[in-house]
Amino acid sequence: MINFEEELKKFHPSLEIDQAEEAIYNQDLTDMADLLVNIIRESQEEEQ
Amino acid sequence: MRCYQCGAELSEKDFCTNCGADVVIYKKIMHMSNRFYNEGLAKANVRDLSGAIVNLREALKFNKNHIEARNLLGLVYFEMGETVAALSEWVISKNIRPQKNIADDYINDIQSNPAQQEMLDQTTRKYNQALAYCNQDSNDLAVIQLKKVVSTYPRFLKAQQLLALLYIQSEEWEKARRVLNRCLRIDVNNTMTLRYIKEVDRMLEGDEAAAKKKKSANPNSYTYQSGNETIIQPRPTREAFLGPNTLLNIVIGIVIGIAVCMFLIVPARVQSAKSDLNDELKQISENADQKTAQITELEQQVSTLQDQNDKMNDQLNSYYGEGGALQTVDALLSTVTLYIEDKQDLTAVSDGLYAIDKDYVENEATDSYKELYHAIMDQVGSDIATQCFDTGVSLKNQGDYTSAIDKLEKAWYFDNTDPEILYNLAAVYQSAGNMDKANELYNELVSSFPDSEFATMAERNIANANTVSVPQSGEDEETNTEDNVVSD
Repeated sequence: MINFEEELKKFHPSLEIDQAEEAIYNQDLTDMADLLVNIIRESQEEEQ
Repeated sequence: MRCYQCGAELSEKDFCTNCGADVVIYKKIMHMSNRFYNEGLAKANVRDLSGAIVNLREALKFNKNHIEARNLLGLVYFEMGETVAALSEWVISKNIRPQKNIADDYINDIQSNPAQQEMLDQTTRKYNQALAYCNQDSNDLAVIQLKKVVSTYPRFLKAQQLLALLYIQSEEWEKARRVLNRCLRIDVNNTMTLRYIKEVDRMLEGDEAAAKKKKSANPNSYTYQSGNETIIQPRPTREAFLGPNTLLNIVIGIVIGIAVCMFLIVPARVQSAKSDLNDELKQISENADQKTAQITELEQQVSTLQDQNDKMNDQLNSYYGEGGALQTVDALLSTVTLYIEDKQDLTAVSDGLYAIDKDYVENEATDSYKELYHAIMDQVGSDIATQCFDTGVSLKNQGDYTSAIDKLEKAWYFDNTDPEILYNLAAVYQSAGNMDKANELYNELVSSFPDSEFATMAERNIANANTVSVPQSGEDEETNTEDNVVSD
């Protein structure tokens, strides 16, 4: 049985056009490659 | 694939041939990214958009610089109606690779059409408003708003799903199912859509089972669907027609029906027909009155026009008819022409001038006409008068009074300043036995020329005429008048 209140919580307001710039700036673009490079760099620093 | 440390192109080796960096894990990460991209692309091809989003996001988590994955993710967002999310992905993609990037075309397509951009923005706002209505328990308003959204932008999946949820909440299962079908056409494998469908189908199956059960429980009625409504209609039974009082009831019903027709419907119809007839007669009468008024008006116009026509004819006759202005002018002009041609032939000139009415000349003729008339009269008037006078006296002496009167009248016409002519004219009238005319001319002579010797003679003749009212004999009268004639 579907719970209306619970289902409603899954819907979020859509971003409007004037909010696009803020959304782009706030997006976390860190990927696995970045993490790998950081890990390798830190390990090299520790070795030194 | 390039080295994360130096940027050199990597080979099939597990290390960078340029800087010697270990690239085993890095290569695996890149491969994972490509694998998720391929899966996402495959799902997008079969319109499993939500599945494609998951895979493409995973691909970008492994490699944020995967331009194809990012662009495809933007397309999938756009297909689901998430315009801002799509634009975000394309802007980031363009930022990563400014040149030779298809995202540039996608952004331009949206930005070059302000109307579409405005529509997308309005749709998003209405969806957010509808969501706010839901949170305020104003579900009816939310449904209205969402209907507008999905009618203008049918691919907006979230709006369709929210509308379906509201229909489910209000237990409008058929409507919810139709909306969910539309959701499936946008995204075939959306978990939320499938879950709602499952719930709706379960409820619909329950309704159908209940309906069947109800149908079997009541064999005397049958049920059918008309639009969204379920119609239950009783079945006709043979017993209803075979009852003992059925025939009697039918006869009574027919009799009652006929009575109702006779006493209620027929009088009403007759009254209605009469009313229609009266209205028609009234209309015809009004039309007839209007026609009569028009005829009267037209007759008045005809009469007025006839009067105008008569006046115009009279006026035309006064110009062109007998004695009209045109004829008079022609007569004067002909006379002048004759005079110019032969100045010695006064007879013809005198006849022409004598035909002209002096009253017309004095009262109606134009100034130029008067001028011409008086000019010719000055030239020939006295000569003609003298000639006519002499001839008239001569004729009088010969006893031809009628001709003498004509000549003397003519002489008086051409020279009405000479009392002798008038006296002789009166005397000829007296000799001819027209004493009334003679007295009239004598009196005119006395009044017009009182100092003249002819006035004294005229008075004497008048007195004699009064004394001898009836002449004794024609001889005496002739003697008397002959004595009175004076000639040069």
